[in-house]
Amino acid sequence: MKFSTTLKALGLTAAVALAPLMVSKAQAAGTLTVAVAIDPGSWDPIDTFLVDWSSAANNIFDGLTARGADMKLKPGLATSWELMDNNSRIRFKLRENVKFHNGEPFNAAAVKFTFDRLLGEEGKKGPQQSNYTSIDRVEVIDDKTVDFIMKQPDPVLLTKLAGYGAMIVPPKYIQEKGDAHFNLNPVGTGPFKFVEYSPKVSLTLEAFPEHWGGAPKLDKVVTRFISEANTQVAELQSGRLDVATLIPFGLAPTVEKSPNLSLMSITGPTVVSLRLNTKEGITKDVNVRKALIMGIDRDAIIKAVLLGHAKPIASFQSELSFGNDPAMKPLPFDLAQAKKMLQDAKVPAGAPVRIDFRGNDATFREVAQAAAGFLQALGLKPALQPHEPPVLLNDIIPNGKTGEAWHQSWGGWTFDYDNTAYLMYHTGEKWNPYGKDPKLDALLEKQRTVYDVKEREKILQEVARYVADQALELPLYNQNTLYGVNKRVKNFDAPADRRFRFTETTVE
Amino acid sequence: MAGFIFKRLLQAIFVILAVTLIVAFAIRLSGDPAVMLLSGGGNVTEQDLQNIRQALGLERPFHVQYLGFLEGILVGDFGKSFMGATPVSALIAQALPATLLLAFVSLLISIVLSVPLGIYAAVHRGRWPDQMIRILSLVGLSFPNFWLAIMLVLLFSIVLGILPPSGMEGPESFVMPALTMATILTATNVRLVRTSMLETLSQQYIMVARSKGLRDRVVLYKHALRNSAIPLVTYIGLQFGSLIGGIVIVERVFNWPGMGTLAFDAISNRDYPVLQGTITVLALFIILINLLVDIAYGLIDPRIRTE
Repeated sequence: MKFSTTLKALGLTAAVALAPLMVSKAQAAGTLTVAVAIDPGSWDPIDTFLVDWSSAANNIFDGLTARGADMKLKPGLATSWELMDNNSRIRFKLRENVKFHNGEPFNAAAVKFTFDRLLGEEGKKGPQQSNYTSIDRVEVIDDKTVDFIMKQPDPVLLTKLAGYGAMIVPPKYIQEKGDAHFNLNPVGTGPFKFVEYSPKVSLTLEAFPEHWGGAPKLDKVVTRFISEANTQVAELQSGRLDVATLIPFGLAPTVEKSPNLSLMSITGPTVVSLRLNTKEGITKDVNVRKALIMGIDRDAIIKAVLLGHAKPIASFQSELSFGNDPAMKPLPFDLAQAKKMLQDAKVPAGAPVRIDFRGNDATFREVAQAAAGFLQALGLKPALQPHEPPVLLNDIIPNGKTGEAWHQSWGGWTFDYDNTAYLMYHTGEKWNPYGKDPKLDALLEKQRTVYDVKEREKILQEVARYVADQALELPLYNQNTLYGVNKRVKNFDAPADRRFRFTETTVE
Repeated sequence: MAGFIFKRLLQAIFVILAVTLIVAFAIRLSGDPAVMLLSGGGNVTEQDLQNIRQALGLERPFHVQYLGFLEGILVGDFGKSFMGATPVSALIAQALPATLLLAFVSLLISIVLSVPLGIYAAVHRGRWPDQMIRILSLVGLSFPNFWLAIMLVLLFSIVLGILPPSGMEGPESFVMPALTMATILTATNVRLVRTSMLETLSQQYIMVARSKGLRDRVVLYKHALRNSAIPLVTYIGLQFGSLIGGIVIVERVFNWPGMGTLAFDAISNRDYPVLQGTITVLALFIILINLLVDIAYGLIDPRIRTE
């Protein structure tokens, strides 16, 4: 009794002593604080490759097209567009009376400047140019009309114009102040304008009331850079953060249980598979590959390892992806059937199956362990081989040094199967070290020339079915995007691609 | 003294050369930054990788890159970060004070706690205060600092809600990171003060001082403490170096915008210039501290100065 009183007294003393240090827990009204993992270092659209860049900068800049949280394409700085001259020319009508944050007018010259820069020497230094090489040049027709002259057809272009390297930048500002200044003091036409950037700490934006889409309801958006997931969650729990973007599955229950927080788990772009070696090992045989797929209970892995924050997939894409066929179903889990198929294929008991994976991916390590358990139940001898990511991505996979299976994790912001499928299955591509299939190549090349939405979708679905027939991979799951959100945040339209736009969002 | 300092500075140059060479070489063995920059992003062709390598100057042979880096050090230019082209010197200028301040506060807390506790333990040798202090220091020594950090956050930020869990915003931000660092330091330092004090107290000149009839306090603080300070100064000086090493983890947990976070991110992103710059500055710093320790010796014990 006496001991506990002393303890209480001590605790009280400590609390009183620390009270002057008390943090102002309630955040400023009208300010939304978001945490992302990585500081991109530059806010110039052509320098970036990070989703974290977009989480902040999608509020600063606009593209000619835009994509809402529902992932549907809509007009942005261009109000309409049409295909001309046998699809070799796309004409954009530009929005009137739009101004950059520095007062500079938005017009055809700004569009031309943006793309000359992206496709020229300046763009060459960054990772964005390659996404837009289908454009030959931009021609100014009049102050509010531009034509994109295409070098080759690019059906995904309209989507790609909604973000990243295609964000429209102010010509006069960049010419006067220089690129180095623009990197750290970005100016765009978006709903929030730049206030302050403190490298490795935070980026502060404030509302730009003259935005063409209407004034934002928030006063300020602060993006903090916190690379440790536990720290993001601690900040969230202590009420100093409104939106946390780095929530590993293991921490999801912590967020869910906190009374002032809600966990948002929505379909995301990231898909995960085990690609299979079609050249060597037991996986050379298509029936063995199918047996491996049927022998691994993917639903159980999703439930046990990913705590339900994922969905099963039949092809290597999210259900939001263009080219996904909802009618296509993954091969069922059937251990007995899988065993029989292995027997029929004369696979000896204890045949090795090596899985190469990214050693820094803690979640996948557990997934791989679970998969290995199922392979063992099939009578095979699984081995898990973790690698440093650069070694795996730069050497093991492209040089065809993998075991029977390797970890492939992928997520393109465009939500179009084209890019994924081409890079995964076309002959000679980096991620396709073993396959050589003229039929698949032809399909992949053909869809790149088709602008007709329905027709292209049909071809992409055919690609997906063909890949599944050949069992080139063991499709595991489509990972959800998780956000931890403070309940004081209202009207937060959580986007699947993490490219936030906080125009309608408010805080209490 | 001037000759001594000159000699040490000359040595420092060789140490810096060795450190930079090892860092520059080792990080280049561990993967291509161009691939890291493009990972996750769109349609990557071999041509893109070439372009990026060229823009970053990675196509040049290793010795050219390394000599360029050394040349830069001489004029205080560490190049630009691969992530967004911020000058490395600007990043370091922001991060170094944050780290030094945290290290300094941690060390200060540790000295303020460990010197009196150590002396007290030495004076009461073998009796219960001594045992108690020794047991506590063993407990403190056994805490892994990342675990301690997370526990502190749990208690002070989440349960009590009185301290910010991360960042460097005001004096309150220092409490948890400094306490985490200071715990382990104090645990070692208490033991060191105690042993050093015990050794001094058994010296003959202490006996002489006592037999002269000097009061206990004079013997303890005037004669014993000053003599036992020599190993302490050395040790605490060297500790500053290892402190900077240990700070990486603590900075990461508390998202402290210091050198540790900078180095950690640079390693994850294969950001050569930032990593090279950070390590070089830290190495310079440790060399400087060692030099200061040597000079401090002379001030405490004039015999060393003449040697």
